[in-house]
Amino acid sequence: MTSTLTSHAPAHTSGGGALRRLNFVTALIGGVLFGVLAWWLAHTFLDAGGAGYSDQVTVLTGCGWVVGFLLGIGALTGPGKWFTGRDQTHADEMYLAGKDLGRKRYFQYTTDHKVVGVQYIFATMALLGTGGILAMGIRTNLLTPGNHFVNQQVYNGFLGVHGMLMILGLIVAVAGPWANFVLPIQVGARDMAFPRLNALSLWTLVAAIPLLLGSLAIGAMDMGWVTQAPIANQAGIGFDLFAMSIITFTISTTVAGVNTICTVLTMRTKGMTMERLPIFAWASIFAAGLGLYAFPFFLVVMSLNLADRMVGTSFFVASGGGTGWLQENLFWLMGHPEVYVILLPAVGAMLEIASVFSRKPLFSYRTVIGGMAGLCGLSALVWAHHMFTTGWAPTLGGPFMLTTELISIPTGVIFLVMLGTIWRGNIWMRLPMVWVFGFIANFIVGGITGIYLSDIPVDNQMHGTMFVVAHFHYVFVGSVLFGAIAALCYWFPKVTGRYLDEKMGRISFWLVFIGTHVTFLAMFVSGMRGMPRRYSSYSMLFEHTNFVSTIGAYMIMAGMLVLLGAFIVSWRSGEPSGPNPWNAKSLEWMVPTPVPLENFEVLPVITSDPYTYGEA
Amino acid sequence: MSDNQNKKSSLHILFWIWVVLTVVGILVAIYGIPWLMPASASNTMHMSILTMVVFTVAAAPVAALVYSVVLFALAKWRYRGEGTPPDGPPIRGNNVTTSVWLVASTVLTVFLLIWGLALLASDATGEAKSEMTVNVTGQQWIWSFQYPGTSVSSHDLYIPVNTDVKFDVTSKDVVHGFWIVQMGIKINANPDEITTTSVTATKTGTFDIRCTEICGLNHAFMVTHVHVLTKKNFEHWLATQPATI
Repeated sequence: MTSTLTSHAPAHTSGGGALRRLNFVTALIGGVLFGVLAWWLAHTFLDAGGAGYSDQVTVLTGCGWVVGFLLGIGALTGPGKWFTGRDQTHADEMYLAGKDLGRKRYFQYTTDHKVVGVQYIFATMALLGTGGILAMGIRTNLLTPGNHFVNQQVYNGFLGVHGMLMILGLIVAVAGPWANFVLPIQVGARDMAFPRLNALSLWTLVAAIPLLLGSLAIGAMDMGWVTQAPIANQAGIGFDLFAMSIITFTISTTVAGVNTICTVLTMRTKGMTMERLPIFAWASIFAAGLGLYAFPFFLVVMSLNLADRMVGTSFFVASGGGTGWLQENLFWLMGHPEVYVILLPAVGAMLEIASVFSRKPLFSYRTVIGGMAGLCGLSALVWAHHMFTTGWAPTLGGPFMLTTELISIPTGVIFLVMLGTIWRGNIWMRLPMVWVFGFIANFIVGGITGIYLSDIPVDNQMHGTMFVVAHFHYVFVGSVLFGAIAALCYWFPKVTGRYLDEKMGRISFWLVFIGTHVTFLAMFVSGMRGMPRRYSSYSMLFEHTNFVSTIGAYMIMAGMLVLLGAFIVSWRSGEPSGPNPWNAKSLEWMVPTPVPLENFEVLPVITSDPYTYGEA
Repeated sequence: MSDNQNKKSSLHILFWIWVVLTVVGILVAIYGIPWLMPASASNTMHMSILTMVVFTVAAAPVAALVYSVVLFALAKWRYRGEGTPPDGPPIRGNNVTTSVWLVASTVLTVFLLIWGLALLASDATGEAKSEMTVNVTGQQWIWSFQYPGTSVSSHDLYIPVNTDVKFDVTSKDVVHGFWIVQMGIKINANPDEITTTSVTATKTGTFDIRCTEICGLNHAFMVTHVHVLTKKNFEHWLATQPATI
């Protein structure tokens, strides 16, 4: 009797053999298998003569890939067990959390929020890295007038995929790694509210990346990242994968957003009132909530566009009773809030850094929360400023100009709080703080040029020119990327137990900082002198400014490569940092490094916010 | 006492950094922007450039404040010792500063708004008095212009000077952006829709038309010219064109 029990016990706890055999490799195999299967089925059973046949085949293949990939990684193992009445055992849960699995757990459907955070770091690097390579392709093509580094067709594909890779990359650049790795510890939780959904959001994102890159490979896309109809309907089958990738991505962000909000609202430890939350936690839930509003539009606009292509609906086809303006409205209903989904986590992280490295409390905690709330609210009401020159509803120009200019007030609050926190502090110019200062210098340029564009008479001149491109690159590169790197430098010691190399980091900073100004100041001038955006070739009039922009872009690339080098070197053999290298006061610095599974031995009780510098 | 004096004199320095940077910003606005923008060929364009100058002048003190605080902080408050710096003063906010900041940014925003709305209103009254119409059609990758009341069409645009011209813009295929670079007007050409814009050219000469919405392979080459003629020359040109429709 006892012998049967003992012989049964290990067999039982290790049960669900599939669970233990699934990893990234089986996911790839599953994705490819299901992709091929879906392709074959579509090929065999669909009417090859019908309109939209090739789009149907491509979309179904994309669906097959996503489903196969998620099956292969084990995303459906848990629900499957639940349906068949066999709940997961404690041993299963421990296995899923990656207990005692070493490096293997980074390639699995692991639920530990810290593993997911690290996986997000690498997913972000893949997105931003490939987006950066495409940016270099674009800038190289524009090095001299009439240059044909790549042909126009490939160039147009680069534009769209560069834009989308960077947007997706920046959406997850701060929220992905740090709202997963750091946020639960910051609020005093043992994990996210829904650990398995956390793994789901990560692996859904990973499934979306090959679709986006694949879209470039099968190509023929002329629609830019805004996928304007009807040019998107003309695009080749690459567009089908492009749209599939975004649909998959929106599922990932929705799952992640719900998880982030629930974690902060329900998992806070004793004494962690909302008023004592670190500002990064506030920024994360604002961004996640705004994403829950914005990204459904993203899913809808791509789905309707696919429907137009696949089954001959005419949502965006004027001759069939639809209108391209619907596409533009839906896209920008997503597109403008999305800017703040990207910006807020970066700002939140940098406000943490500003406080820690000035050794001062955050200046006017409540004002910045109000400012962020204002940004979220207004950002939902400004979308049509992207459409001033489209001819849609000219009478709405005034109201949208109003909301757009009002948004400069909460944006100003961020500057106030940043400068107020630095004011009279003892400023510790370590690597994270260096990037924060870079952010302040860049964001003011991005912000002010945005005000010009909000003014309709100026926008009538500047819309669709390189001026706009320079403006939003000052925001995305100069501000958000700087914030993402600052966050990386700040929390790197918590992840690895080592400092990110200070010297290489500084070299990288100066290259990227100077490169940003060289590239985008010159790009402002290109735009002011009259160069439209998305040009594959240009007249001699814009020769010098484009040459300068390309050189600046190479500097940014060099800086990012140095940063990559610093990342690799420091991860392997950087200077050990101990658990709290910055002597900060938020909870993530109170736990040991490496952070143990479930973070806390005993959940802490909180008596104040983490900004008590000079007070205690 | 000396501490207080010290603080006062250093804020003095901050003030002067701010003044210098503001002046630099204003000079860049007044001289830089008109120099970088194309020479204007219409009142609309003139007002666009003026707006950019005015906005830059208005923004200069704000940007200068941010930059001067940053530079000042780096020079004066940077900790140069070893290890973690000691804690700074526990300033958790200052209602006066916050209020002044909010009021100042609101006043600036309201000013920009009034400026923009006034400009919009003056544009709208201009539209009512258009003296002639040109039908503009975009298609991949060429512009066509047709002059209503005649059977003339062309691929270069011809308009008379000092005449308010209304453009009825449409497209045969995808969305294009109709932009007369030196006149500050831009409107998208949408298939199966007609959008309008109008402008009064204030000087004769040849100016650029470029497409501003990505429209396929040859988007970058969808360029043409507008020839602004004297009224007499324009009548002559129109009369001597072969009928193309």
